[in-house]
Amino acid sequence: MNDQEFFDLALKVIGARASDAEREQLEMLLASRPDMKTQFEEIRDDARLAKKVLPLMEAVGSSSGEFPAYARERLLAKVHQTLGQPQPARTKRGWNWRWALGFAVGAAAVVLLLLPMLTRPAEPVIQVAMLDTAGAVRGEGSDLDALKAQWKHSEVRTFDKAGPLDTWTTNWPSGAKVAAKVIYDRAAGEVRVILYGPGKPVAKTFSVGQDLAATLRQATGFIQEQTGK
Amino acid sequence: MNPPNLQALQGGDAAEWDLAFRWLWPAAFGAAQVVLQPCLPAEVEDVAIESLEELVEGVRSLSSAEELRPLLAGIAHNRAVSRLRQFYAAKRGAGKTESYEAKQEACGDLPEAIAPDDPVGALEHKELAERLGQLLAELKPPQGQMLADFFLRRLTYEDIAKKHAVAPGTVGVYLKRGLAAMRRVWGPGGKDV
Repeated sequence: MNDQEFFDLALKVIGARASDAEREQLEMLLASRPDMKTQFEEIRDDARLAKKVLPLMEAVGSSSGEFPAYARERLLAKVHQTLGQPQPARTKRGWNWRWALGFAVGAAAVVLLLLPMLTRPAEPVIQVAMLDTAGAVRGEGSDLDALKAQWKHSEVRTFDKAGPLDTWTTNWPSGAKVAAKVIYDRAAGEVRVILYGPGKPVAKTFSVGQDLAATLRQATGFIQEQTGK
Repeated sequence: MNPPNLQALQGGDAAEWDLAFRWLWPAAFGAAQVVLQPCLPAEVEDVAIESLEELVEGVRSLSSAEELRPLLAGIAHNRAVSRLRQFYAAKRGAGKTESYEAKQEACGDLPEAIAPDDPVGALEHKELAERLGQLLAELKPPQGQMLADFFLRRLTYEDIAKKHAVAPGTVGVYLKRGLAAMRRVWGPGGKDV
């Protein structure tokens, strides 16, 4: 009997798959060959190990059995608790944080932009008049045009007497926090600017040279300088 | 179903875990059932769920998705053995109950799974998982299936030959080689444990 034949006979007996004749054959063999007894015991030990290990091997390779639905929530909670979802969670917190920071920066920028507008003095009301005591003379129209061109949004009044002009000069528009009166005295060849505001009234006179428009621009610069506009 | 993406599992991807639990469940349930079915069948499902929880805790230590099932089977087996030991210890302690005694009578004095010299129960679950993984690699088809047919399903040589469409004379050769592979991984008769 070779090794394989002995193995088959021993395994059939150990596994209770042997016939009576096969059991007798093995008993006789072990009795006549004591050296085979050790070999038989090794096969029996291996069979015992196989009975222990094979069910686990089958479990590892098994695909049958339905996962119970009630366990899902418990196990996913365990996943969340143990492994978390660090990326999405951090991202969410990060977005909130960034959103808040972005909002703060944006708000600050808006405030910075609005601050000068909010704190700057109100746009001055500019009233313009021309005193022409000489009556209608050549060039009066072009002077009026120059005044209207410089202060497009203001009405340009014309006076031929100093009295009404003085009345007009002292009559400041109601409700205006800052106001300016520009008076072009053709006869005197000068432009007077009077500013009325929160402080003391400020006045400045500009001599008109060859270029009235240039003098008017100087007057405008003065008003802007004084009012910040 | 293919093995899940280990990196996604390690990153806590809930959707991947949701799929993985279904793929892993048979391994956890089967390993717990091997130990608990005779005495505590009602505990099998609970032990399987606890084992999956333990796997979640240990998943970051793995380097391959192929390790998942052997590790889970090892965890489930050892948890089931612990549960069985607790059950038998209760008889000796003050907390014994009639139902425990009745169960113990039905299960016998000491199941092999919790015997001190048990070659599987004596291993830590990580070592058990390693050996299961090694054995999976060692057993060449159809050695594993034939061993299971002989030892678990109790088929005869002739039945196994028919099932796998091989000559009856070759069945013993496959079985002998399969046991030799097992001996290489576990030691002769599991004596390396």
